[in-house]
Amino acid sequence: MLSAGEVILQQLMNGLILGSFYALIALGYSMVYGIIKLLNFAHGDIYMTGAFVGFFVFGILAGTVGSSWGGVILAMLAAMCVCGLLGFLIQLLAYRPLFDAPRLSLLITAIGVSLILYNTVMIITNGEYMFFQHSIPAGGLTFGNVTITWVQLVLLAITAVLMLVLSWFIGTTIWGKAMRAISLDKPTCRLMGINVNKIIGLTFFIGSALAAVAGVMSCVYYGSLHYFMGYMMGIKAFTAAVIGGIGSIPGAMLGGLLLGLLEAAGTQALGSSWKDVFAFSLLIIMLIFKPTGLLGKTEIERM
Amino acid sequence: MALMEVTDLTMRFGGIVAVDTLTFNIDKGSITALIGPNGAGKTSAFNCLTGFYKATSGQILFEGQSLLNMRPYKITHKGIVRTFQNVRLFKNMTVMENVMSGCHSISKQFVGGALLRHPAQRKEEAEIRRISEEALKFIDILDLKDRVAKNLPYGYQRRVEWARAIASRPKLLLLDEPAAGLNREEKNDLVRLIRRFRNELGITVFLIEHDMGLVMEVAEKIVVINFGTKIAEGTPEEIQANPLVIEAYLGKDDDEGGPVQ
Amino acid sequence: MEHNENIKLQNIEVTANTAAAEEAAVEEPTVIQRKGIAGAWDNFVEGMYRLVETTKGKILVFGILLIAVGTMPLWASSYVLQVAWNAMFYMLLAIGCNIIVGYCGMCDLGYAAKFAVGAYTSAILVKTFGWNFWLTLPVVIIFAIIAACIMGGPVVRLRSDYLAIVTLGFGEIVRIVARNLEITGSASGISGIPRPYLFGVQLTKIWMWFFVFIILVIIFVIASNRLKNSRFGRALEYIREDEDAAEAMGVDVARYKLWAFIMGTVFGALAGAFYAMQMAAISPNSFQFLQSANILLAVVLGGMGKVPGVMAGAAFFAIFPEVFRDIGEYRMLIFGIALVIVMIFRPQGLWPERRR
Repeated sequence: MLSAGEVILQQLMNGLILGSFYALIALGYSMVYGIIKLLNFAHGDIYMTGAFVGFFVFGILAGTVGSSWGGVILAMLAAMCVCGLLGFLIQLLAYRPLFDAPRLSLLITAIGVSLILYNTVMIITNGEYMFFQHSIPAGGLTFGNVTITWVQLVLLAITAVLMLVLSWFIGTTIWGKAMRAISLDKPTCRLMGINVNKIIGLTFFIGSALAAVAGVMSCVYYGSLHYFMGYMMGIKAFTAAVIGGIGSIPGAMLGGLLLGLLEAAGTQALGSSWKDVFAFSLLIIMLIFKPTGLLGKTEIERM
Repeated sequence: MALMEVTDLTMRFGGIVAVDTLTFNIDKGSITALIGPNGAGKTSAFNCLTGFYKATSGQILFEGQSLLNMRPYKITHKGIVRTFQNVRLFKNMTVMENVMSGCHSISKQFVGGALLRHPAQRKEEAEIRRISEEALKFIDILDLKDRVAKNLPYGYQRRVEWARAIASRPKLLLLDEPAAGLNREEKNDLVRLIRRFRNELGITVFLIEHDMGLVMEVAEKIVVINFGTKIAEGTPEEIQANPLVIEAYLGKDDDEGGPVQ
Repeated sequence: MEHNENIKLQNIEVTANTAAAEEAAVEEPTVIQRKGIAGAWDNFVEGMYRLVETTKGKILVFGILLIAVGTMPLWASSYVLQVAWNAMFYMLLAIGCNIIVGYCGMCDLGYAAKFAVGAYTSAILVKTFGWNFWLTLPVVIIFAIIAACIMGGPVVRLRSDYLAIVTLGFGEIVRIVARNLEITGSASGISGIPRPYLFGVQLTKIWMWFFVFIILVIIFVIASNRLKNSRFGRALEYIREDEDAAEAMGVDVARYKLWAFIMGTVFGALAGAFYAMQMAAISPNSFQFLQSANILLAVVLGGMGKVPGVMAGAAFFAIFPEVFRDIGEYRMLIFGIALVIVMIFRPQGLWPERRR
């Protein structure tokens, strides 16, 4: 039996890991929403695709670089590149022609893209579970009966580094500034000579690459992957983005971690069959009492 | 007699004071205009009157009743109807359907009536059509009634918006820069129409407008604001002679004539 | 004095000018005549509209349609009847969803939850409590209204994008709750629901349900048309077109959105109740997200707000998987690709605009 303190520690760790996945995916949702006001429904499937790309690359590399951290990191980089490019292409082919169309058409297109990714992977994998077998040494820091594994710690570290890099990128580089400017006023950005389409493409690239990292991380953490893993994850990551304040980068990070922690607590209290209900109820409560999210700004409508 | 009394109206956006202790009256049966240089707070004041912005402080009384904290649709139900600066029609609907929206606030059938189509509902529906056709006839665009709004030229879209406004049989009509984007002929037409709204339909008209010539021609009383506060109020002649107004529009050391463009 | 004359002169000018402009404006708008199949399709639909506008045409078109569909049990196999029944069921759902999405412009990603409410209410009352099915219908309506208020209440004041995700959330909540509660039969659902009687005959054969659903479709079409052509329906369309302008014209936007939600839910719940009775079994798997997505897509592809288009869209969604049974797992992939292509080239849906 675990003591109360140990249970809290364990669930805290579970919540942080889950929250990292949510946060990394939520960033993509939030960035894309901020810049073109699209609920990118396919984003959850990009996460899933990232997991599979990582899985296959890992399998190929296992012979040469081994199946420990080296292989995982390379697989992660490969998945980032492939998914970043995939996100960019999706944006280019499916979304760009519809930037001026009614918003609902764009949303439907996103559902279409989601169906394409989902079914392609399903056909390739025959709809079966895949198992990610790595030889990362077990063990970690032990507190009483609870062990925090090295895997958990490394995953958290990767998330933290990525978030810091992204914050730096958005906050100080010219591209990051352009992104923020576009989310405020697209026509003015065009007039100021910003290549809006290029920046939107970049946003998709970065968002998708981050989702791919989450995908590979979840392979390592859970050890298995399947074609429908992106659906629930995607919706909940969007929930996280809304909780943090959609369009806000720190909001997505905070929302992700918070949702992860709350879900871990909720699972502990109510049992795992209710955990999704818990997450959605949280979303709805949030939207009723603070629809702009924790870090979102209230905008004054202009007539 | 004042139909609407605005007292110490103040509107803040964060640190910016868009409207500052603005006080004026709209007399019943008058044509009143609110003017001011760009960024003077006209639109903010206008949006406070129609409930689209929530005033920070002050009072707005319509027929003695406060309009503060009232949702825009409720204000419309009180008999105040507005138009928009850049025409906001229901683009994919016909002209007739657009104008019928004016009758929304003066009719009351709901889901039950719609499903059952009982005599009361049919009678009301016929009445809505009659009023809408009358409004279209008044603006002289009845022959466009089956056209889809988005396919009309801009000048006609403006007219549809006016027809939509008068179909609600308002006591007070608020026009937000009604002459924006109109050519000279259409502006003259507008002057004639505004007078007809008042003379033939008995509607009190309040407008905010950039076009000084139009305002001087049509308004009986003019309120001038700058930096959110009232700097002058009076008849067109008084306003044209007011040094404060000339200063606001032309700057201090300019000795060229009045603000008439 | 001079000033006055000037105005008069200008007025004359104005009337002359307006007359000229009016002539120009009254000209028929230029319609882009599309080529090939698309053009033929446009012409066909426009011709049908013109035909249906006359009384004779109405009798002719609906007469032929009724005879063709009504005699189906005589010449079609029970498999075809089953597919046709399924198509009609989708039509009912699409007509209901169209009130929310097509008329009012709200994005609903959880419509399956609405028909789940009706299906479960009816199934539980009939199976567990032994009610007569027809008596459960008023209860279904009441439950639908309550469910719509719970699901719609929080969201109608929100921006439209949030609405999509909240409806999706509620869709999932309903499904998960149904999977976890005892009264809804947990994961295996409710089966062996006794079939209802109509005029003393138990509705056991597919052709009987076929006729029941024809009548339902007719009722739904009439009801949704009546809603559309009324003060209520117009208010919904004003909201869809421009929320601020609708509010300025005196429409209580939140209240009307909620009522659109309620009406959509009532339609969906009634369809769900009949679905449960025909299937004699329901399970949480019948109410998955894919179901909601299919209904929404039927409405959007059919050309939001246009009832005949929406029905065509629904029929397409029911028949497509059957026709493409052979290509198996590639079916949904092709479907996704088709969806993206249609949206890019015809975002307003496949049903043509009327020309005026």
